[in-house]
Amino acid sequence: MSSSHNATTVPDVQELTCAIQEKYTEVAQTPDRGFHFHTGRPLARMLRYPDEWVDATPPSVVESFAGVGNPFRLGALPAGATVLDIGSGAGFDAQQAARQVGARGRVIGVDLTPAMVTKARAGAAAAGLANVAFSEGRAEALPLPDAAVDVVISNGVINLCPDKAAVYREIFRVLRPGGRLQIADVMVQASVPDDAKADINLWTG
Amino acid sequence: MEEYLAVVRAAGFVDVELGELVDVFSGSPHESDAREFEARGVTFRARRP
Repeated sequence: MSSSHNATTVPDVQELTCAIQEKYTEVAQTPDRGFHFHTGRPLARMLRYPDEWVDATPPSVVESFAGVGNPFRLGALPAGATVLDIGSGAGFDAQQAARQVGARGRVIGVDLTPAMVTKARAGAAAAGLANVAFSEGRAEALPLPDAAVDVVISNGVINLCPDKAAVYREIFRVLRPGGRLQIADVMVQASVPDDAKADINLWTG
Repeated sequence: MEEYLAVVRAAGFVDVELGELVDVFSGSPHESDAREFEARGVTFRARRP
């Protein structure tokens, strides 16, 4: 589980970044080892992704899927749209987005973990998707100009960011006026004590 | 949850709409922590005016 509080008591950001990269490198490279959160096809089924979507996605991408919701159940993406996927991981959601926006659309995936970016690029090539690209980057400093995209999606990633206000300011900056976000994230409804907020294992899951 | 959505609104977003709440940690090793803090997977959408 990851804290979703914009806490004043949080782990050191550099330490947290290293821990996240280490954890998600494992999800990319050894997806079958088992994690403290669900992954892969069972997770996709739990989150009610249609089986035909999963079947159309390369197994190498499906096996490293990690998320906490299904942002596409909030509405289909418009054909021709430019979409940004923050924390795109192995590219599972980015591939679904790429199929929805079609050849005239474009999907940009950004992820903190180099191993995930490598895997996402290979997965897109395996799927024959030419309208999706991946790059390394942080949610708090997106590598995009102002007003560059029509839709921002993200799935179980912003909860890993201690400064959520900075992330949502960045999303606002890169969205065109009238653009929308469709997000799945962890939220907590109970009070989280300071010692839990500082527990890096609860952040990284 | 309201604290989180307040951050979204403070960034300038409007028309914030909640979607589904999913007990996404059910059956995972983190289930007990998730129950303690009432953590859920939540979907929502919003618009830049």
